[in-house]
Amino acid sequence: MEEYKVELTVNGEKISSLAKPEESLLKFLRRNGFTEVKCGCEKGECGTCTVIINKKTVKSCIMLALQASGKEILTAKGVEKQELGRKLQESFVNTGAIQCGFCTPGIIVTAKNYLDQNPVPDREEIKKAISGNLCRCTGYKKIVDAIYDVAVENQK
Amino acid sequence: MSQFKYVSPKTKDEALEILQEKKSNACIIAGCSNVLPNIRDKKIVSKVLVDISDIEELKGIVGEKDKIYIGPLTTITELVNSEVILKEGNVLHQAAEQFADPIVRNSATVGGNLVDASPAADMAVPLLTLDAILKIESVGQKKDVQLRDFFIGPGETILQEDEIITGIEFESSNINKNGCFIKLGLRKAMAIAVASIAVNLEIKENKIAQVRIVMGSVAPTPIRLTATEEFLKDKEVNDELIEKAIDKVREEVNPISDIRASEEYRRYVSGILFKRAFKKLTLAN
Repeated sequence: MEEYKVELTVNGEKISSLAKPEESLLKFLRRNGFTEVKCGCEKGECGTCTVIINKKTVKSCIMLALQASGKEILTAKGVEKQELGRKLQESFVNTGAIQCGFCTPGIIVTAKNYLDQNPVPDREEIKKAISGNLCRCTGYKKIVDAIYDVAVENQK
Repeated sequence: MSQFKYVSPKTKDEALEILQEKKSNACIIAGCSNVLPNIRDKKIVSKVLVDISDIEELKGIVGEKDKIYIGPLTTITELVNSEVILKEGNVLHQAAEQFADPIVRNSATVGGNLVDASPAADMAVPLLTLDAILKIESVGQKKDVQLRDFFIGPGETILQEDEIITGIEFESSNINKNGCFIKLGLRKAMAIAVASIAVNLEIKENKIAQVRIVMGSVAPTPIRLTATEEFLKDKEVNDELIEKAIDKVREEVNPISDIRASEEYRRYVSGILFKRAFKKLTLAN
């Protein structure tokens, strides 16, 4: 059984661990305690495993842990340490955009990265931006509201 | 028990040496958006994973005076954001915007989509209407292959086990600048096409000087509708012509029934997609 050393940074914390070649970044992160990164479909479709690497969102279930070696990863817990992340969390709570909560970490990661680069989107643009994250509970309207409210605040 | 190994070559030549040595034991990976689900489903077992994602020579989009080069490691997001592609191969830009979802687009590569060779491949359809050429290399050998000769069946290409695509090129031309891509899916994102079409067109004095029509998900591979193209060539553009061409399109496609749609629906809707794409291009003219 071949295992290789993986060294990366998660939310500013250095992690060093062995991994099998076929292990996904998702499984690697969860194994090392970052369970805020959720395992949903493991096919790259639901988006609950979304993380940020180098200002780009990545679905960690379709990336090898070995490919993330040397990189800096931001998960939902890293995002909430930043002001925009916290604003999004508050907005989700105030709008009622959370039901079971399973999709929420992934969507907030996606929304935060999107707003960082596109601070003033309209509702259609927000819908497209989160089209890689699935929610089975809310019907998406309140999620879009929550993100839009933060964008409107940004404008002020 | 499945046993994998991992190597990460830093240059193209290094990668080619590994492929020559490992042959069918090697599995090239980059974005991994298809490979990892396949590993999970046990469709790929016990391979040497050859990670080419760090090879700089395989990246980049370069627009020269007469041709455009796309590195196979170009992500779909990079295609969407490329000014060169927007101007020179707009049909490819349109397809990239509808590919999977914004997150997967950050990881998925053009080369990967072509080698995966789905009959629905969203990069293959527009690149075929652009009449693209593939640069393919193995140790000590370089060759050019027309993309239209690349696909031989669902998931099958002519790529040999020691070869990689090192470039995708298309010409800078009037016809390549004038294209329309339409994808019909069961939802607006993350959809595998029920049917897709790309049309590139050049009109002179209201007559069709050149036309290329490609469809995805209506045959074992993405296909050029050459009989319909032949029918349309040199004819004057009018509604009657379009109606006749719709019949030709429906005769030429070769769809199957699967979980997404029936053969009859695919055949019918192929004509509709052609009409929409063609009208969009001719109204613009």
